[in-house]
Amino acid sequence: MSNNAVSLYLDPQIRDWVLFPITLVMILVGILRHYVVVLLQSPPKVVSKAAMREQRALTRSQILRATASNSPIPPSYYTSISQHLSDAFASGAYLKDGPPKGDNASAPPNPITDPAAMDGMMAGMKTQMVMMVPQMVIMGWINFFFQGFVLIKLPFPLTLGFKSMLQRGIETPDMDVRWVSSLSWYFLNFFGLNGLYRLILGDANSADSSRDMTASPFAAGAPAAGPQDFAKLFKAEKDNLEFSEGLHNWVGNDVENRVLRKYGKLAPAY
Amino acid sequence: MSLQSALQELSLFRRNNIRKSQETFNKGLVVLKAGGTAKLGEEGWAFLEQLALASLDIGRIDIADQCLLQLAEKFPGSPRVDVLTGIRMEATESPSTVLSYYDELLRADSTNAAAWKRRISVLRRMNKVEKAVEDLNEYLDTFYTDVEGWLELADIHSSANQYTHALEALSHALLLNPQNPFTFLQFAETAYTAGDLPLALKMFLVVIDMNEVEDEDTIPLGISVRAWWGTKLCSRQLVSSQTSHESNSNTPVPKNIKLIDELATERVLTAYSGEHGIQARSLVSNWMSGR
Repeated sequence: MSNNAVSLYLDPQIRDWVLFPITLVMILVGILRHYVVVLLQSPPKVVSKAAMREQRALTRSQILRATASNSPIPPSYYTSISQHLSDAFASGAYLKDGPPKGDNASAPPNPITDPAAMDGMMAGMKTQMVMMVPQMVIMGWINFFFQGFVLIKLPFPLTLGFKSMLQRGIETPDMDVRWVSSLSWYFLNFFGLNGLYRLILGDANSADSSRDMTASPFAAGAPAAGPQDFAKLFKAEKDNLEFSEGLHNWVGNDVENRVLRKYGKLAPAY
Repeated sequence: MSLQSALQELSLFRRNNIRKSQETFNKGLVVLKAGGTAKLGEEGWAFLEQLALASLDIGRIDIADQCLLQLAEKFPGSPRVDVLTGIRMEATESPSTVLSYYDELLRADSTNAAAWKRRISVLRRMNKVEKAVEDLNEYLDTFYTDVEGWLELADIHSSANQYTHALEALSHALLLNPQNPFTFLQFAETAYTAGDLPLALKMFLVVIDMNEVEDEDTIPLGISVRAWWGTKLCSRQLVSSQTSHESNSNTPVPKNIKLIDELATERVLTAYSGEHGIQARSLVSNWMSGR
């Protein structure tokens, strides 16, 4: 084993001219990317009053429904609010463009033709580009100049399973797993530098690219899960409201007996 | 007072939303004189806003202007600073000037909730109550979850003797904030004023029911004294006049109303049994017996 361990000598020049440069370049590119993303960020879109009202209308009925089984308000008030909401949902009073005029409202909006949704998608694409391009360039650079380089030896033993992770780009069956190839070093940095970025740039940085690999450009800019067909959602919510109305139970229904029991004026119920 | 303790106090005020303007101002001045804003970093801006509001509260407009100047330099075009500027204008300018200023803000961004609320408060101050109510209704239709707004609407309606509308506004506030006994108490008292005694009685009892600390052997304190008084007032009238009580909300009168009346009498008298209440006790028991 000891014989095996010293079978390979690394030129210190590799350390100075390959290992450190790769690491340094990746850190610097990450920081640069952070600032480019900050520059690219468009100011938050101004939402019109009507659009905001439409988005928030559902919360109203959700709050109402959530309290139904233990409602703080008496039945007559509950039903009046509930009725008002379901009437409004039925007539489409909360829709951004006002109540639908004919029966042509059934077509769901197409995200490609809706300019508001398009903006969000473009913003996602832009940041995505800033993530992908530098990473591709760095990987090409490493592949071109340092292909097949062994850069570093890990100071601890590892099992054979790590071979494909640590020695990518070197097709040798019996080299010790502790040796790390240049391409693997790139990947280790790629996934492992986030902690360092957080230290340098603060928590909400956008330098870490491994996180964005999983995100789709279409979802990145639109946290509201894309455009929704509010007309349909409102119709569904109307049914939910009717259902909750049956569940309504006012906390005041039996409160006098509860208070009397608490003060020992009435025998306990059980 | 050291700089460190002043800073700590102030950040505590900010976090817990405490208004104590004079105290905030005194402490803030210490910080401002020592040049602590630079040391605070990001938090320094929140401090400047706090100090500006506090100094407007106590009429030190010069200090408010100082803070505002720094904030406007750092955040040009920020809606938050714009609203703060509006509040500063309210202190000296005529209401119509301020109103047009807020109108302009809202034209630029119709979803600026803070500016909208300030506008409504200015309208109310100018005694344009109808316009204020109209605006407030529209505001609450958009920003439903603003409990403050619902309470304000209830207050405006109550001040105009429109108790039914006030109760409606309060019921929204209750839906949004069902864990707050004070909102229930306000609902109960508004219902009592509106003459809906069975509803008021139920709501007073809910307030009592919510108070988990109190039981038979403790002396009622704070909110529960008020709730017991309310219960007593309702039950006394419900017991004495056997005629059916009209309830707009169709709330039935509890069957064991006599028991509730007795319990309420007992609890109210208990409230006046401590060291502080003992002088008033004879008055209260006189009132209790003289029905």
